[in-house]
Amino acid sequence: MLLEKGLEISCPSQRDLPETAAAIIAFARGQGGQKIWLFEGSMGAGKTTLIKEICLRLGVEDTVQSPTFSIVNEYRAEGDEPVYHFDFYRIKEVAEALQIGAEEYFYSGHYCLIEWPSKIEEILPEQYLQVQIEVNEDNSRTILLSTHE
Amino acid sequence: MCSILAIESSCDETSASVISNSKILANVVASQQVHEQWGGVVPELASRAHQQNIIPVVHKALQEANITKKELDAVAFTRGPGLLGALLVGSSFAKSFALGLGVPLIDVNHMQAHILAHFIDDPKPPFPFLCLTVSGGHTQIVRVNDFLDMEIIGETQDDAVGEAFDKTAKLLGLPYPGGPLVDQWAQKGNPQAFPFPLSEMQGLNYSFSGIKTAVLYFLQDKQKSDPDFAEKNMADICASLQYTLVEMLLQKLRKAARETDIKHIAIAGGVSANSGLRKGLREEAEKRGWQVYIPAFEYCTDNAAMIAMAAHYKYQAGEFCPQDVSPMPRMKF
Repeated sequence: MLLEKGLEISCPSQRDLPETAAAIIAFARGQGGQKIWLFEGSMGAGKTTLIKEICLRLGVEDTVQSPTFSIVNEYRAEGDEPVYHFDFYRIKEVAEALQIGAEEYFYSGHYCLIEWPSKIEEILPEQYLQVQIEVNEDNSRTILLSTHE
Repeated sequence: MCSILAIESSCDETSASVISNSKILANVVASQQVHEQWGGVVPELASRAHQQNIIPVVHKALQEANITKKELDAVAFTRGPGLLGALLVGSSFAKSFALGLGVPLIDVNHMQAHILAHFIDDPKPPFPFLCLTVSGGHTQIVRVNDFLDMEIIGETQDDAVGEAFDKTAKLLGLPYPGGPLVDQWAQKGNPQAFPFPLSEMQGLNYSFSGIKTAVLYFLQDKQKSDPDFAEKNMADICASLQYTLVEMLLQKLRKAARETDIKHIAIAGGVSANSGLRKGLREEAEKRGWQVYIPAFEYCTDNAAMIAMAAHYKYQAGEFCPQDVSPMPRMKF
C-alpha cells in the first residue's frame, strides 16, 4: 500500500464542520474523484456526525441516521445518485459482510462512506480515501486525509 | 374465518406467525430451539441465516397453529425498513408461497407493526394514542389515529436510543451490545451521581450521538487521575447515564402529549424492556393522568406476530400488494 498524497485539516469545534466537510470533498475531487471513503476514529470521535455534514454537501435530503443497526443506509444525492453509508461495527466475520452484498456496493461506482472498515479489511477495495479523525487533548479534532492505491 | 401467515426477516430474527381472525395462533422466532430441532449453525447476522431458518420456522408456525397451507387466506411479510439482504429472503419466500397457494400478498411496514403489537393482547389503547417506539435501530414518537393511519411526529436525527445505550456501555468497557447490562448496573447506582448533558433538539426530534461523545470526554477526564474510575463507579455511571437517556425520551414525550392533548401513551420496541424507562413512564402516568400501555416483552422485540396483526387490519381494509413488489430498506410510513 503506497501512501500517495495526504492533507491535514484542523476542525476546532462542531461549528467548523461545514468547512471541514467541504475541504474533504474538494480533496477527493482533486484526487480523481475517489468515491470509496474509509472513516477511522474512536467511538464518539464523530464519524457519523462528519458523514452527516458531507452528505448534506453532496445534496442528500434524507435524514442521515447512524447505520450501526442497519449496516448500510442508502441515500440519494444530487442528480439522484445513490450514496451508501456503512457501519461494520456489528460485523463479526467478513462472511457476514459478503452476504449482505458488500462487494456489490463497493464496486457500484457510487459513493461508499464506510465506518469501522477495520472489521472487513480483507474485502475492502485497494483504492480508497482514508479519513482519520483524531480527538485532541482540547477536544478539537484533526482530520488526516490520505489516498491509497 | 380468515387465516394469514406472516413472515418477519428485517434484521437478525427470522420469525413466522399465524393469525386467525384477530387471534395469534403461533409466533415462532428462530432460536436455539429451532436450530436444535433442524440442525445447522446459524451466523448471527446474515441473509443466509434467514434462508436457513425460514422454512423450518414457517413449518413450525403452521404446526403450532394446527393449520394447513391450504387453509391460509393470505401471506404477509415485512417490506421494510431493515437490511436489504434480510428483507429479500422474507419477501421472496412470501411471494412464492402466496403465488403457489393462489392467495393475496400483504406488505407490512415493520415500524407500524411494532405499534400494532398493542392490539394482540388486552389492554388495547383507544385512538388516538401516542407510541414511543424505541429499539437498537429506531427512536420515534408516532401519533396513531387508527390501525392504518399513523404519522411520525418526532424521531432521531442520528443514533437510536438503543444504540446510545449499547455504545456508551462499550465506552465503559462492557461487552457489546451492553444496553441490558447498563440497566442491571443502573439499578444499583445513584442516578444523580454524575450529570450528563441533555441534548437540545428542535421540536419533537431526538439526538443521541452527543451523549456518546460526552461520556468519552467524561471518562478521559476522570481516568487521568484514576485509571480504574469506570470499574469503581460502574453502578453510579450507569444509573446516571440511564437517567439521562430516559429523561431525554420522556422530555419529548411530555411535549408531544401536551401538544397533541393525548393522554394514552404506548411504548414499543426492544428498549421497552428497560426498567428505567418503565419506571419513568409509570411516574409520568401518575403525575399527568396518562394511561400507559406496554406490550408483553415477546411482542416488543422483533417478531412475526406483530406483522400478522398488521396484516389482519390490512386484509380487512382490502390493502394487498402486487407480486412485483420490492423490499424497501428505508421504508417510510
